[in-house]
Amino acid sequence: MNTKGRLKLLILTGCLSLFITLQTAYGEDAWRTDFDAACAQSDDAMAFSIPELKKLIEQCDRVQNSIEAQEDTVRKVFLRRLQMCRNLYVFVLETKMHEQKPK
Amino acid sequence: MIKMFFVVPILLAAAGIAWAQGGMKKKKPLPCEFGSVTINNYSRQAGMPPVVFDHWVHRQYYTCRLCHVDLGFGMTVGSTKVRAVDNMKGYFCGTCHNGKMVHGGKRIFESCTKEYTREEYNRCVKCHTLERSAVKENEFYRFSKKMPNERLGNGINWEIAEEKGLIKPVDYLEGVSSKKTNLKVTSDFAIKTKVEGMPDIIFSHKKHTVWNGCGLCHPEIFIGVKKGTTKYSMVELFEGKYCGVCHDKVAFPQTDCQRCHTKQTQE
Repeated sequence: MNTKGRLKLLILTGCLSLFITLQTAYGEDAWRTDFDAACAQSDDAMAFSIPELKKLIEQCDRVQNSIEAQEDTVRKVFLRRLQMCRNLYVFVLETKMHEQKPK
Repeated sequence: MIKMFFVVPILLAAAGIAWAQGGMKKKKPLPCEFGSVTINNYSRQAGMPPVVFDHWVHRQYYTCRLCHVDLGFGMTVGSTKVRAVDNMKGYFCGTCHNGKMVHGGKRIFESCTKEYTREEYNRCVKCHTLERSAVKENEFYRFSKKMPNERLGNGINWEIAEEKGLIKPVDYLEGVSSKKTNLKVTSDFAIKTKVEGMPDIIFSHKKHTVWNGCGLCHPEIFIGVKKGTTKYSMVELFEGKYCGVCHDKVAFPQTDCQRCHTKQTQE
């Protein structure tokens, strides 16, 4: 391989590693952003409507898959945090649905 | 006087439960020991004494919610199964105890390391200890002197301490906590007692949510969001369920009846 070819290969390898690094970094940030978006509103759970609560529960389920792919300690911490806020949404949802049922 | 005929059997029943659980009456902890928990999931295996965690040291700086929700600590002793490696990665105790975080002008000591020198071992035994430390006791009494008094538990009224600005528990850690909106607090409500003569409980959501948020209690501890959904008895509470998850262990003891049974009854 000549010098030009080596240079091309070097640039290509550099670009590839940069892409992988950025993707990993973005990926890490993405699940955390999704987690915050889903769980930051748990204290307002009672104020949400049934469709809003269902949407939040779906958000929690989506982020759960991403957390499960993380390393051991992150999984332990964030699955518990996620479970707490998801359980709260589910409970408020069930309560609101129960209230809506004709008596 | 008639009230006594109802109150005394309840207290006797509570004492009976305590007796039945432990086989003998539990020793009342000293104010400095109230709220101490011994965590021994992996310490002994690693050749270290168990961790003795003092709630009073931490609750003067942080809300309950911060540790039990944002840091992921469970509500029962040993349920979190924290490993040294978790702390070293900057989670659980290691979130703050990383040797870098500064609180009140003081650097918070690092919690766990893979290897340690003889000198560094002194840092390990700050948490991994079973022997009573006179230094710690003195620290507690110096601290408690500045705090409003309470009859039982730590002997500190934490609620008044916060109201007076003597403590300012932090509820948010950058990079750890999720940014929250302002909490809308549900109004106080009365919980009717089953015993005639005993004042009803006035439950204050405001007092509880300020340190706990919503998710710490619902639905894990109280499965009912709406008033009256969860039915419970004092027997269950003394067994460590519902209010008993915190009260008796860290929050003021349930034997301090008038702290909860506050509704005035008509004579």
